[in-house]
Amino acid sequence: MLTKSSPVLSDGTKISELIYPETREVQMRVLSDPEIYELEMEKIFGRTWVMLGHESEIPEPNDFMVRDMGSDSVIVARDKDGEIHVTLNVCPHRGMRVALTDCGNATIHKCIYHGWAFRPNGDFIGSPVKRECMHGTILEESELGLKKARSVSYGGLIFATWNIEGPSFDEFLGDAKWYYDMLFLRSDKGMEVLGPPQRFIVNANWKTAGEQSAADGFHTLTLHRWLGEVGNYSKKGPAEEESDEPDLTPEMYGVEVSSPHGHALRCIDLARKIRRLTGLEPDELTIQEKLDALPPAGMTKDMVAQLANNLSEDQLKVLTSMPPQVGGMFPNILFGFVYIPQPDGSVVGSMTMHTYIPRGPNKLEFCNWIFAEKDAPEELREKMLKQTIQLFGTSGMVEQDDSDTWPHMTLAAKGAMGRHMTMKYQAIYETGKPEGWPGPGIVNEGFTKDDTQWHWWLYWNELMNAE
Amino acid sequence: MQQVQEQNRDVTQGQYVPVGSADYSAVLTFLYEEAALLDQLRLSEWGECLATDLIYTAPLRHTRLGVDHAKSFVRSVMHFHDDYRSIMGRILRLSGQSAWAEDPPSRTRRLITNVLIRETANPNEFDVTSYQLLTRSRFSDHNVDVISCERRDLIRREADGSFKLARREALLDQSVIGTPNLAVFL
Repeated sequence: MLTKSSPVLSDGTKISELIYPETREVQMRVLSDPEIYELEMEKIFGRTWVMLGHESEIPEPNDFMVRDMGSDSVIVARDKDGEIHVTLNVCPHRGMRVALTDCGNATIHKCIYHGWAFRPNGDFIGSPVKRECMHGTILEESELGLKKARSVSYGGLIFATWNIEGPSFDEFLGDAKWYYDMLFLRSDKGMEVLGPPQRFIVNANWKTAGEQSAADGFHTLTLHRWLGEVGNYSKKGPAEEESDEPDLTPEMYGVEVSSPHGHALRCIDLARKIRRLTGLEPDELTIQEKLDALPPAGMTKDMVAQLANNLSEDQLKVLTSMPPQVGGMFPNILFGFVYIPQPDGSVVGSMTMHTYIPRGPNKLEFCNWIFAEKDAPEELREKMLKQTIQLFGTSGMVEQDDSDTWPHMTLAAKGAMGRHMTMKYQAIYETGKPEGWPGPGIVNEGFTKDDTQWHWWLYWNELMNAE
Repeated sequence: MQQVQEQNRDVTQGQYVPVGSADYSAVLTFLYEEAALLDQLRLSEWGECLATDLIYTAPLRHTRLGVDHAKSFVRSVMHFHDDYRSIMGRILRLSGQSAWAEDPPSRTRRLITNVLIRETANPNEFDVTSYQLLTRSRFSDHNVDVISCERRDLIRREADGSFKLARREALLDQSVIGTPNLAVFL
């Protein structure tokens, strides 16, 4: 029995009892319980802003693509005037799916069942045999269109929500926007996709991936240790450092931004890379010199002049010392704007975003987009495309290793004992903001900790218990 | 969005190499041996079957109307986009101690059928299409992942009579892949 607020599960457990604020634990039952899943479809995916794709996937008037907001299929279409619309892909007549292909171009979306026709913005055009008025007269034609979501475009990323009167997208991002702007609004022309997303199924609850993206740093050292052993971070010559451990530990230092809305950014310290590339101490270099030595991931030296057009001096300071490189946006988004070391000592950027679409309590669809800056030269785009496919997504050598953890956790969460075990977020920052840090939000410096992920769960809990 | 051009393959198709002929049997044997090496986790030996100019790709699939069938194959972003060097990198990774995706390894079975071989302009190179059903089982899950695809290969006979894979495009049949990664080779 799920009441509208303070939901109570059918065995009498309150959802709010599954999170332990004093000890920073979350009961694993949340990963397997079908009632919780159904509630999430309404309270999380039915309420927040959900990322659907990028404008560059539907560049022409009447282009459309079919995507998912939680458990609902939606049509994301660009109308003849260039505006984007997101509509529920369910015919108001008898519930048939209207747009049957993954994408295409159509001035009219016609349901194959009874021929009801809709404009790209969802408006009802009519039903066949107009004089017979097959749609009747009980409802006005204006009520017979596809259900419309509210949508925005942010750096070309298309977000939509069913919460028509709810918080704006900027309010949803809150303080985290100051950091996301450094990724998505940094250049004059912005970024674009290099193609449609990869899609594959992982038999795991969406939250196993969602909470990891928000933002688990530790697991890089162990689950992805191949990077330091034989991969891009492996030592080629005699050990530079005292430790014989894989050379991934330096990537754990920086600043992490947590959010009361579950957004998370890991801002990784660039000092070591700048030192290696220039032979100089970062403190001795100007912002311009640092940008020239190491442009942001995915940008070339020619492009860095654009940054001053779009970002503040404070943002440039952060961008050249501790840029946001990996993290998430609530509830199910991962972003990676990372530098990948090359054999010749240079770095090539990868710009990738994922969404983890819930497909049932035990299943998620991993959706992976690959980006480049619109101004990136062809040679760089080709390199970034291949590198990102090789490291991330379906055959990605980094992300292959995530494929077993999430299903094992989900399976464990089904056990009679397992579902009462907890996920723990007890590595807690004690540092706070670094001296002179100009950015907003809940900021902590040092070696990665669990705070960002804990805030993700706090917001999950807030939404699950909201009206 | 750019489309990666299908590699400089002569679109006009050559004559069939007859089923059962010596050349057909030799190439077929190569495909069976390749499948066996991969199923037996003999990755380094599989690496030795690859030409140094290898291009290895697996396009995405989209659901499109029949009139747009060609658009159901997407070659901009793909599931695999590799060359010889990157495949060797994958083999190096999988042979290491921390490739958790395949450690414990998947138990796979590659069933190769419907092999059709055509001549090319080069008497030592063959256009080979084959169907593959790859079954994949991990841990104690009794549900087996089934990945079917058509492979469009260029297989080259070397001076010593051995064969090498010079091109592979694996045309998968799912728009949403039903296995949690492609850590296994197609």
